[in-house]
Amino acid sequence: MSKYLIYILLPLFLFSACRSDKKKENDFSQEFEIPDSVIYEGNLEISEQAMEEIVQNISSPVEIAALIKSLGVPYSKDYLATTDYVDSYNTSYKMALGLGIYGADLGYQNMYNKTGSVLDYISAIKTLADGIRVGQFFDFTTLKRLVTNNQNLDSLMYISVQNFNQMDRYLRENNRGNLSSLIVAGIWIESMYLLGGVVKESPSVEIAEKIGEQKIILSNLMLLLRNYDQDPKFKELIDNLDEIQDIYRDVTITYEKGDPEAVEEDGMLIIKQNDKQFIEISNETMLQIINKTAEIRNKIIHL
Amino acid sequence: MKNILTIFIFFAIFTFGNFQPVKAQSGQELVDICSMIAGDEVTYLKDFPIKLDAAKPGEEPPTARFSVVLSKNTQYRLTICNSKDYSGQAIMQLFDNNRLLGTNFVVATGKTYPSFDFKCTSTGVYHIFVTFKEGEQGLAVSMLSFVKKL
Repeated sequence: MSKYLIYILLPLFLFSACRSDKKKENDFSQEFEIPDSVIYEGNLEISEQAMEEIVQNISSPVEIAALIKSLGVPYSKDYLATTDYVDSYNTSYKMALGLGIYGADLGYQNMYNKTGSVLDYISAIKTLADGIRVGQFFDFTTLKRLVTNNQNLDSLMYISVQNFNQMDRYLRENNRGNLSSLIVAGIWIESMYLLGGVVKESPSVEIAEKIGEQKIILSNLMLLLRNYDQDPKFKELIDNLDEIQDIYRDVTITYEKGDPEAVEEDGMLIIKQNDKQFIEISNETMLQIINKTAEIRNKIIHL
Repeated sequence: MKNILTIFIFFAIFTFGNFQPVKAQSGQELVDICSMIAGDEVTYLKDFPIKLDAAKPGEEPPTARFSVVLSKNTQYRLTICNSKDYSGQAIMQLFDNNRLLGTNFVVATGKTYPSFDFKCTSTGVYHIFVTFKEGEQGLAVSMLSFVKKL
């Protein structure tokens, strides 16, 4: 009798013991076992932890695209970077910069719910992400399905932004912060290109101010990039961005402090900052910044 | 017969006991929950996973800190979601360079909000501090979302 019982229960036991939890891959402690030949081994002037504090949300394509859309500026694919040269991006440096550029363009297209050419961009992003071995974080299959069926476009934005965050986090946590900072730089450069293109076609005080306030953002980005200035390619990029920073010296930003206040509206707690920030930028300075950024950006996409 | 019963109990523990495990909440689940709490009308920007140990006796509760760039004339939403696997309840505070601007825990009323909106009027670097009430051990996700341009 006991013999038969063992025959029945043994397979159940083995089945149970071999079960794996598919969701495990999303645990906080999970890390991919990928051999990494592009770990940055140079001396860092600031610690990885300090860099992590600096890097968050430096360039947000969502916010830039939302500003452009809120001003009633129509969508234009002319602002987008061509994906024609993706296959010639053959170094981690080029791939990471390209990832940032196409990420910004994807954010712009998503904001306008323009899915016509999104497939080209998510394909380009997947190619580049695979190239620097973070493709496992880019859910190409789901994104492609959403684009192809033109469905649930909010999810398209949510998943793509989250995928970029996951790539960024993985790179920073695995001593590849150099590539993470290049992605951030790519996003910033392309966002600036978008702003420049828009303001030339549809001049607006809001966009001029947005370009002016990038003085603050650029200084944070430079802090991040300078950490890797021993690398000749980084040095070249830093030198290029230095030229933009020089032009930004003519932009004046002043502050007037106010007391923050908290109010409850419809059950939602809202904090109003009440500080004032004044940004002064002349048209001439703005044009110089736009032109210089466009020059750097075009050089990058034709690498 | 006694032997059969022993074998049956042994296998029952190792088989059926494993069919319904208490599943730990994953990071991605927490992020998705947080996104739902933040609401449909917002656009997800960043999430910050936080896992802190319990405070040691006589010491300050451990704190997680994240720095973000926020833009002028923009309304953001900061949402916090606690893992059901830990008892710690997260308190989120937003600082500029030297001042506390807001928190989801209002001391005066004792009320804890799952999220709060921040109407930013000055572009710059801001700091999000997260700690768990009474220094308990906890796991949470703090999420930054874009609400609208002001």
